[in-house]
Amino acid sequence: MSPFRRVLDARGLACPQPVILTRKALAEGGFSELEVIVNTSSGRENVARFAGHAGCTIGSMEESGEETRIVIQPPVTSGSDPTSTKSLTDATMPLVEPGIQTVFLSSRTIGRGDDELGALLMRAFLYTLTESETPPQRVLLMNSGVTLAAEGSVHLENLRRLVDLGVEILACGACLEFYKLTDQLAVGRVSNMQEITEFLLQGNVLSL
Amino acid sequence: MLVLATFLSTHATLRAEQELTGEVPVELIPVPRQIRSDCGFALLASPLDPSGAGRAVEILKGHGATGLWRVIELDSPTSRHKEKHYEPIP
Repeated sequence: MSPFRRVLDARGLACPQPVILTRKALAEGGFSELEVIVNTSSGRENVARFAGHAGCTIGSMEESGEETRIVIQPPVTSGSDPTSTKSLTDATMPLVEPGIQTVFLSSRTIGRGDDELGALLMRAFLYTLTESETPPQRVLLMNSGVTLAAEGSVHLENLRRLVDLGVEILACGACLEFYKLTDQLAVGRVSNMQEITEFLLQGNVLSL
Repeated sequence: MLVLATFLSTHATLRAEQELTGEVPVELIPVPRQIRSDCGFALLASPLDPSGAGRAVEILKGHGATGLWRVIELDSPTSRHKEKHYEPIP
């Protein structure tokens, strides 16, 4: 197959549009390289992350000023049948479009009722999140939710796995201070009401 | 080498987890869909070496495990996660 580069201009598009367009282009196929142009840091990270998840190779990432040009090479098939590239690309696409961007945990337990069961459900939830094909971009921790990420928490391993998957963990600073855990945040970083509110207002939030 | 253990109830799972502290490293996880479709919890034991698996199985049985599976992890062509297969241990 002769090298053919398709260019996708995703400048000025709000998240998650760049990812959705990249996914669509990869599914359509018919090229050996896809160049995606983005001009937001979230667009750059999300497109690159998505391409990696879809089994593609990032050929290059060139930054100039605000813009980044990401060159994506779809998975290569061993056969020379040109249609095989498309079918493989389809097969490697996650079934679910990137949906939930933010998971908001405002308690150390899931739901109301027995606290022991609630804590158990939280462990099972965070473990399952680490196994997800489409993890969120971030997990926000508020009120007793911040204790999940504090020293000695049974959830640290799952939270660290999420960080390894590229998920950001943000803990409310005032809440850490209230629970006297300011210097005991073991995973993630301290955030504030302004930033947390901004993420909640961006939508695609799962609140537990 | 991982071993998955299920128990009669959530309380039994929790009790086993507490009792196993220091004996076998275990992680509490939801019961995988491949094993049972209903909601529940299981313990995933990770013996440090393959030869420890047999001993782990005995310890888990001793703490009330009613179902035991050997977890086989294979690279997945479509996912960055490993594909897990569960082989019943009699």
